[in-house]
Amino acid sequence: MKASSFIKPIMLALLGCSLLAAGILLSISFGAADIRMAEVWNAITNPEPTKEQLIVRTLRLPRALGSALIGASLAVAGALMQAVTRNPLASPQIFGINAGASLVVVGSIVLFPFLSPPALVYFAFAGAALGGGLVYSFGSAGGQSPVKLALAGTAVSLLLAALTEGLVVLHDHQTQTVLFWLAGAVDGVSWSDVHTLLPWSLLGLLVAAGISRSMTLLGLGDDVAHGLGQRVQRARLLAGVAVILLAGSSVAVAGPIGFIGLVIPHIVRRMVGSDYRMVIPFAALFGAVLLVYADLASRYISYPFESPVGIVTAALGAPFFLYLIHKGRMASQ
Amino acid sequence: MKKRFLLFGALILLIAVSSVISTGVGAVFISPADVLHASFGSGKSQHLFIIQEYRLPRVVLSILVGAGLAVAGTVLQGIIRNPLASPDIIGITKGAGLTAVIVILLFPKSPVGTLPWAALAGGLAAALLLYLLSYRGGMKPITMALSGIAIGALFSAGIQYMTVRYAADANTALLWLAGSLWGRGWNHVLTLLPWVVLLLPLIWLYASKLDTLNLGDDVAQGLGVPVTRTRMILFFLAVGLTAACVSVAGSIGFLGLVAPHIARRLVGPVHSLNLPLSALLGSLLLLLADGIGRILLIPKEVPAGIIIAVIGAPYFLYLLRREYRSG
Repeated sequence: MKASSFIKPIMLALLGCSLLAAGILLSISFGAADIRMAEVWNAITNPEPTKEQLIVRTLRLPRALGSALIGASLAVAGALMQAVTRNPLASPQIFGINAGASLVVVGSIVLFPFLSPPALVYFAFAGAALGGGLVYSFGSAGGQSPVKLALAGTAVSLLLAALTEGLVVLHDHQTQTVLFWLAGAVDGVSWSDVHTLLPWSLLGLLVAAGISRSMTLLGLGDDVAHGLGQRVQRARLLAGVAVILLAGSSVAVAGPIGFIGLVIPHIVRRMVGSDYRMVIPFAALFGAVLLVYADLASRYISYPFESPVGIVTAALGAPFFLYLIHKGRMASQ
Repeated sequence: MKKRFLLFGALILLIAVSSVISTGVGAVFISPADVLHASFGSGKSQHLFIIQEYRLPRVVLSILVGAGLAVAGTVLQGIIRNPLASPDIIGITKGAGLTAVIVILLFPKSPVGTLPWAALAGGLAAALLLYLLSYRGGMKPITMALSGIAIGALFSAGIQYMTVRYAADANTALLWLAGSLWGRGWNHVLTLLPWVVLLLPLIWLYASKLDTLNLGDDVAQGLGVPVTRTRMILFFLAVGLTAACVSVAGSIGFLGLVAPHIARRLVGPVHSLNLPLSALLGSLLLLLADGIGRILLIPKEVPAGIIIAVIGAPYFLYLLRREYRSG
């Protein structure tokens, strides 16, 4: 590699990191109660039991860090899925993974209300695997095509969402909590949620980083990848496991937040090319950036009330999805 | 020909029988004989009230909504020339849903009659967006289907915002969104009736044009059919029908997909036949779904839309598989 080819990634990394740091600081400082930056700094360096510092330490900080973690997880999950399926529309949402995890989580909240988030994660994994498996098996039989996958994903998601709605309607005592959660929300993320999320996200991200070379080669086609000494099936399986860990744990904590897994990998690939050793870390970075800022924006939709962040990501992501379609690459396939 | 008469006759008979049975089932069971007596104004008085005020309007609504959604689905599949198109997959139901939810939550005191117009506005907005987005690409089926999915996502974000923001009343909206006939009365029937009575025959008049469109744009043009205009008129007729149905029954998905398919399998692609047939099938399916939803978990009710989705989604996936296998 020439020296100049390092400059762009380094600049991008610096840009991403400073955006993320600024976003996290803003996210801690702004909201229903605005807190001065100096106070934020004090809360970290010089803890005192004031009201502002309490808000920062127990509410804002875990929320900001949780958002970053979830954004990173979802973006990397999307990148892995797009690599494995060679389908530009693949993402946790289109693939029914969010809907599957939601159904199982809502089901277990309704049926076993005593379960805590750490236990819910396992249910979310099962649901994610269920939704993703269904869409994959129907969307890829008889040859893959982006359109077919999108249609299969939509149908499976509609079905799973109908079942989820049924559960909510039939057990109406917890409607409000469940509804807010179902729209994809990070406002309630606490330290215990971050602790729940952290090991799974890190594990998923590590696996993703570990198989990033294989992901690049998968993009060349199974035969080529095989010829280059890749164990294609193993790489696929590991990618699947990583996706379920990343998306499942995110949904368990914050509900189904859409479109990050679709949008970020596209943007990142445009910036750094299709080498997944670069795509995966940058997807994580910019996924975190996007969700932190989306969360910040969601506080101002109907200020001073909180709105689910999933609404913001959908409002940003759906037009991007349209743009992808109309670029015309997909329509010809 | 005789076979077709038998088919239509059998379906109408089935609908009649299911109507009588469906009127009788629910939290209070009423025997078919009592149902018939009560429907004609005699019989036990306590049943009379339940039947005339609660059960009958639901049965009539099932028939109207089922027919409306099935015909709208047939038309959309015809003009988009994609057997997988239906009002819910391409986002029109969500558009109608959003404006209806806004009316339900922000103006809870507005009369029932305004709901179809609100839903129509939303459905039209979604349809227009879809039309504009896919017009430049020559309304290619694939572009339309995918754009519809994105538009649906956008509108459902709006719906989510409304239900979360006005969470206190969200259960009403949610129940309605799941597609349910619970609590619907004669005023809903009266709201929907003119739409169905007007639009169904109007669409039927276009049956032969739909057949021509099926042959492809060039052939249709050659046969003297103004393709773009016909497609646009039919598109908006279907949207109007969908919106009216959604406004009284909520978003009942997959019905507009499944019924047209079964109809096509039974009588082939001639629209003068399969339009009425899919209307009948849609009515029958919704009648059954509503009846099943009422007795599945007594005393609670499962919304009919959920029952239809559970039946319809696997059928859709099966179709998807077949469609792409045959190329």
